[in-house]
Amino acid sequence: MHQVPLQSYLTLAATLFSLGVLGVLIKRNALVVFMSVELMLNASNLTFLAFARDAGTDAGHLPALFVIAVAAAEAAIGLAVIIAVFRSRGTVNVDEIRTMRL
Amino acid sequence: MLAAFINPFTDAIPSPDGIASMLWVIIALPLAGAFLCGVLGKFMGRANTNFIACATVGGSFLLSLLATWAVGYPSGQFVSPASNLPVKYALWLDLGRWFAAGDFSTHYGFLVDRLTAALLLVITGVGFLIHLYSTEYMEHDEGYWRYFAYLNLFVAMMLTLVMADNLVLLFVGWEGVGLCSYLLIGFWYQDTEKAWAGRKAFIFNRVGDFAFIIGMILMILLLGATEDMGRAGPARGNFQDIGRARAWLTSVHDQGPLNVEVLREWAIRMPPDQGERSRGLMTLASEITTPGPLHGKHVGNVLTAVLLLMLLGAAGKSAQIPLYVWLPDAMAGPTPVSALIHAATMVTAGVYLFCRLSFLLVLSPTAMVWVAGIGAATAIWAALIAFAQNDIKKVLAYSTVSQLGFMFMGAGMGVWWAAALHLVTHAFFKACLFLGAGSVMHGNAEETDILRLGGLRKQMPWTWATFLIATLAITGIVPLSGFFSKDAILHGAHTAEIAGYPHVGHWIYWLGLFGALCTAFYMTRLYVLTFEGKRAADAKVPHAHESGFRMVFVLVVLALFSIFGLIWGLPDLVPGPEGPKVAPLEGYFYPALQLAEGMGKRFHLVTHEVASPIPGFIIAWVIAVIGGAAAAYTYLRWLPSRAGKPLPAAIAVPWRWARHKFYVDEVYDVLFIRSFTALSNGFYKVIDEGLIDTVGVGGTAALFRRVGSWLRYTQTGNAQSYATVMAVGLLVSIGVVLTWVLR
Repeated sequence: MHQVPLQSYLTLAATLFSLGVLGVLIKRNALVVFMSVELMLNASNLTFLAFARDAGTDAGHLPALFVIAVAAAEAAIGLAVIIAVFRSRGTVNVDEIRTMRL
Repeated sequence: MLAAFINPFTDAIPSPDGIASMLWVIIALPLAGAFLCGVLGKFMGRANTNFIACATVGGSFLLSLLATWAVGYPSGQFVSPASNLPVKYALWLDLGRWFAAGDFSTHYGFLVDRLTAALLLVITGVGFLIHLYSTEYMEHDEGYWRYFAYLNLFVAMMLTLVMADNLVLLFVGWEGVGLCSYLLIGFWYQDTEKAWAGRKAFIFNRVGDFAFIIGMILMILLLGATEDMGRAGPARGNFQDIGRARAWLTSVHDQGPLNVEVLREWAIRMPPDQGERSRGLMTLASEITTPGPLHGKHVGNVLTAVLLLMLLGAAGKSAQIPLYVWLPDAMAGPTPVSALIHAATMVTAGVYLFCRLSFLLVLSPTAMVWVAGIGAATAIWAALIAFAQNDIKKVLAYSTVSQLGFMFMGAGMGVWWAAALHLVTHAFFKACLFLGAGSVMHGNAEETDILRLGGLRKQMPWTWATFLIATLAITGIVPLSGFFSKDAILHGAHTAEIAGYPHVGHWIYWLGLFGALCTAFYMTRLYVLTFEGKRAADAKVPHAHESGFRMVFVLVVLALFSIFGLIWGLPDLVPGPEGPKVAPLEGYFYPALQLAEGMGKRFHLVTHEVASPIPGFIIAWVIAVIGGAAAAYTYLRWLPSRAGKPLPAAIAVPWRWARHKFYVDEVYDVLFIRSFTALSNGFYKVIDEGLIDTVGVGGTAALFRRVGSWLRYTQTGNAQSYATVMAVGLLVSIGVVLTWVLR
């Protein structure tokens, strides 16, 4: 059976990660920003698993599972924050949320 | 050490040893009095405070009498730590080490020899009388407890000064009396002018004290640099006796280099260069070979520097040129203070210092000439200023400065006993004059302008009589005490021959005679304007009233002493230790001053030609009478006849100069105060405002403000722009790591 080389996995993961970064930096909608963060997390997961498979050990699976758990928690809290922000401000446009500025 | 505190209370019969062990009580009594008056005086009430203040000084006086009795006999003696030899006619109490720092050490010790004993009696005796006088003088003042606390503290400090067995402890008293002087001059501190007078006195004293400190440090260095003379072998050492050399070396490190006995032994062992006879010895002419700051200097020159620095210190305390200007202003204090501190005791500290260190002074003819020269210059300068002053206390103040100049002349001309005698008699008649002035002020609604007094003779008979006696005494009329003490100085100067300075003695003598003439003139002027003639039309009160019993009693006692003090100065009365008859006080002080006198003779540093004092007596007497008669004629006949007419120009111009004290205060103001203020202002403008404020403090603030205002643009509050920065930063970091670190 033809093996998919490690480089391909890494290239894919890097592409996904870069797309995620771009999304976080460019998109105005908080929900899309949020989805981009998920994309970055999954890109890193993919890297972990690709290395694990290449090395033939299970060690890489552990952080991947950990990241999934964290991402789930983060999604729950993040969505709650976004809903709370939408309720108080009526928008989820990140450009209009500037409370970090004094 | 504990025994020192217990013995005086357990020994029933005073023995010299027992008296030595109670010497500390003489100081402790007024110190305790100062504490009680200062802390509890307000609650104890006036009478209790008066009692405590007088009783403590009175107690000190009784103990001083005991100490004087003890040093009157050869059995009053102690073993000098510096030579292991007995010192007769003196008591010593060592209370143990005070402090030590490195090689330096100093003890808390008291030394009473006959010189100290005389001063003890003056300080506590006159001090007691003035305390008594003050109880009446200050009876309407609310600050009586403060006053008596300061006055008692002063007595304690002055006693420390004269009893100290080393210069460090002496300096404690030296500073202490300066502090009390400051506190008492500015006693009525609500009056700004008086507060300033106190500050002026303190600052002028500080200038002198600083010179004194440097002098002491230089002396410590000098002793350290010449210590090796105690280590040389017995064959060629300065100490012929190895035991004495060891004793001296030990005491230099135990008692400390500034102990009087250590210094005395050093002076004995440090002869002037005598050519062949002093071959192989360390002499005043030798170069210092010990490495250190004094390396390469000559011993004698360093000693001269030490003594000149001490002369400046003494000039500060004893109001000599160039530091005399504080004393006339010190008259802002209560009059009894002027009498005690600024006439009788504190200002004589400089004279005492040179008598105490006479054995060092005699080794440096240059320093002696300087001391005498400064004294003579001050005596005349102050007398000229006193001519034209109209404030009764100012005249007396300048006369004090002038008389202190006479004492310095005596100390510088090698007649220390005469300087000390004049110190004692001056304490009596000047205290009497000041207290008389206080009595005049008391009875005339605090009037001090002699032009607005006059005719007090009938209204204040007791004050008049005592003031007249004291005036005659200071003027130098036979047979009052001032005549003999002043003439002893003049006679000593006339006959003195100082090595390397021929004829200086004659110059000093003629200057002294001129000073005596001036003294007679201005004192008679003061007396005539205050007590004779008619009462001034613009007097504050029409009739003066005589002071009460306590004040008059004190005046009478002091006047009596001004008369009977003559006994100590009568020449050729008692057989001297060396054959010819001498004055009683000269014989009395001989044990304390013999070393210096002996060294002066042996090394031909200061020699006194033996001559009859009678011609000098006659000249001095004639001069005093001329001065007095001239003043009496001027102020009783000539000036009243010229009423309404201007003075002749030949008199009016110098008169105006003298009236303004020769503008010395103004010169000092320009030279030191203005220039110093200008310099400070310059520094303030350039360094403070220019450098520190603008560049330092202001610059730092401006820098951060500027940088902050730039950086403020980066704080947008936009999470995405922050994230962009982070991403870019991360990218750059990764790039750096990949290209440089992991290469």
